[in-house]
Amino acid sequence: MSRNQRIGLIVAAVAVAVLAFVIASPGGDDDGDKASQTTATPSTDTTETPSTDTTERQTEAPAPPKPTVTRIDIRGGQVVGGPAEIHAKNGDTVVIVVSADAPDDIHLHGYDIEKPVEPGKPATFRFKANLEGEFELESHVAEGAGREPLVGTLIVEPR
Amino acid sequence: MFLIGHGISVRSDLPIPEWLFGWAAAMVLVVSFVALAVLWPEPRLQKPTWRPLPGGIGRVLGSRPVEIICGAIGIFLFGLTIYAGLRGTESTTANFAPIFIYVIFWLALVPLSVLFGDVFRAFNPWRAIGRAVAWIARTASRGELPAPLEYPAWLGRWPAAVGIFAFATMELIASNGDKPDSLAVAALAYSAVTFIGMALYGIDRWIDRAEAFSVYFNLFSRLSVVETRDREVGLRKPLSGLPQLKSLPGTVALLAVMIGSVSFDGLTGKQPWNNISPDIAQFFQDRGLSPQHALEATFMLGLIGAVLFVAGFYWLGVLGAKSVGGGFSARRLAHEFVHSIVPIALAYVAAHYFTLLLFQGQAIAYLISDPLGKGSDIFGTADTQIDYTLIGANATWYWQVAFVVAGHVAALMLAHDRALALYEDNRKAVRSQYWMLGVMVGFTSLALWLLSSANA
Repeated sequence: MSRNQRIGLIVAAVAVAVLAFVIASPGGDDDGDKASQTTATPSTDTTETPSTDTTERQTEAPAPPKPTVTRIDIRGGQVVGGPAEIHAKNGDTVVIVVSADAPDDIHLHGYDIEKPVEPGKPATFRFKANLEGEFELESHVAEGAGREPLVGTLIVEPR
Repeated sequence: MFLIGHGISVRSDLPIPEWLFGWAAAMVLVVSFVALAVLWPEPRLQKPTWRPLPGGIGRVLGSRPVEIICGAIGIFLFGLTIYAGLRGTESTTANFAPIFIYVIFWLALVPLSVLFGDVFRAFNPWRAIGRAVAWIARTASRGELPAPLEYPAWLGRWPAAVGIFAFATMELIASNGDKPDSLAVAALAYSAVTFIGMALYGIDRWIDRAEAFSVYFNLFSRLSVVETRDREVGLRKPLSGLPQLKSLPGTVALLAVMIGSVSFDGLTGKQPWNNISPDIAQFFQDRGLSPQHALEATFMLGLIGAVLFVAGFYWLGVLGAKSVGGGFSARRLAHEFVHSIVPIALAYVAAHYFTLLLFQGQAIAYLISDPLGKGSDIFGTADTQIDYTLIGANATWYWQVAFVVAGHVAALMLAHDRALALYEDNRKAVRSQYWMLGVMVGFTSLALWLLSSANA
């Protein structure tokens, strides 16, 4: 194979790669939708019957103007229904309300927000999700006691 | 369930979306077949090429005073890590020791080695202490020290493979592996082993073959264009460093541990693992282990499985290449091609951990002011915070794919060049390459799958 043929083949391969990328990549808004379809796993929130009882963790339907509220309840050192998975897109306002039957300190990593919780006095986290990635929400009391500290995971996807 | 694994997982990457995963996997195949057609017909990388840096800079960089300064910095950082680990606050992110060991030492030295050559050799605290002690002993006894024992040939790089496996166990499995005091104790224990090894077999021999981190970073530094020879820093042709790697026993095992442990770290976030691991943990628990130890045993089984899988897959390719003919034994072929796997190992590390380095690496800014996590502010930087907006999810995905594809291309070039040099018949060389190509496409696809949202 001559030098020109080699270069021709490489150029052709690069052209195919670029074309395939343009065709495959979902443009604009479509991008985010597709990403969330493929990565979002159904959490227990959506399958539970919505209830106003605060002991039940629930997620409201994602209506755009109204921020999604995730309720997390800790009873006897355990998260009711297991650690929560909170999905958001970059720029969303996220509200997480954590209640517990014992005093605790809840820490959202990355965003670095720490709030105290006491029985009857839930902690409300309200913030703009502007950092992408997966972040852990942890109980410092459980961590100090050598128990599993994970209370929930915040998953922020790009728009 | 206890979550064990990365103690420093303050922020994790989002998985690569399926469309990008599919595109990248397709590109790997396209690249592979184009490579078969266009790569050079004569070996080009087998002969060492090296020119000293111009203007005597190379001689200055490799000089004794520079060596002593670098060694002293290495010893200081080592001492600080041990001190912070033993005396500092018992927190993973507020103590200097865990972040320095897992992020600066273990991760940042990888790109530094690839860019600037074997920098760890210069800063290696064990080597520096060993050389200082030997110098003092020589001066005191006014004569030559007794000659070291001969390093057994069969031992090869096995101690390094075992050492990296132990480090991976500490990082990914041991539930106290992110605790500052456990890390300090482990580092001291490892130091004791290293000093005994150096005393028995000689400092340089032990550092070159057995000291796990020297061997590990030296492998990556062979991808660099910078190389030090006879106390002089110079430049060589890209990719010409790896073919000079001596094939020693244990090298395949070391590469299998390197790729297998990163794979296992990726696998623990995936559906197939999450489906089977509770059952395995239950099995151990039914046999009397505590929940925590049952989980550690499960993870240990997974790590060993991942390493054996990687090794087995490589040997499969070697046996295939052997079937082409040419009269080479499988063992010979395994050793002739193992250097070509190093760029793939680099791609695994880079794609998996570069955001961890980028984000948690910033923690060093506040840790140098407050290494013990007890409120000191030596340099006035104790209040700095990690900027998590540095890189978004989209850019992260593209970098990950770029690392994986680039590693694949480098591996193909190295294997191709070695095949041309090894086989007298060019047709046999190409046929043997189909098998090595299969191995590399397999490793690369696995890397992409582990990073992707498929079965996440």
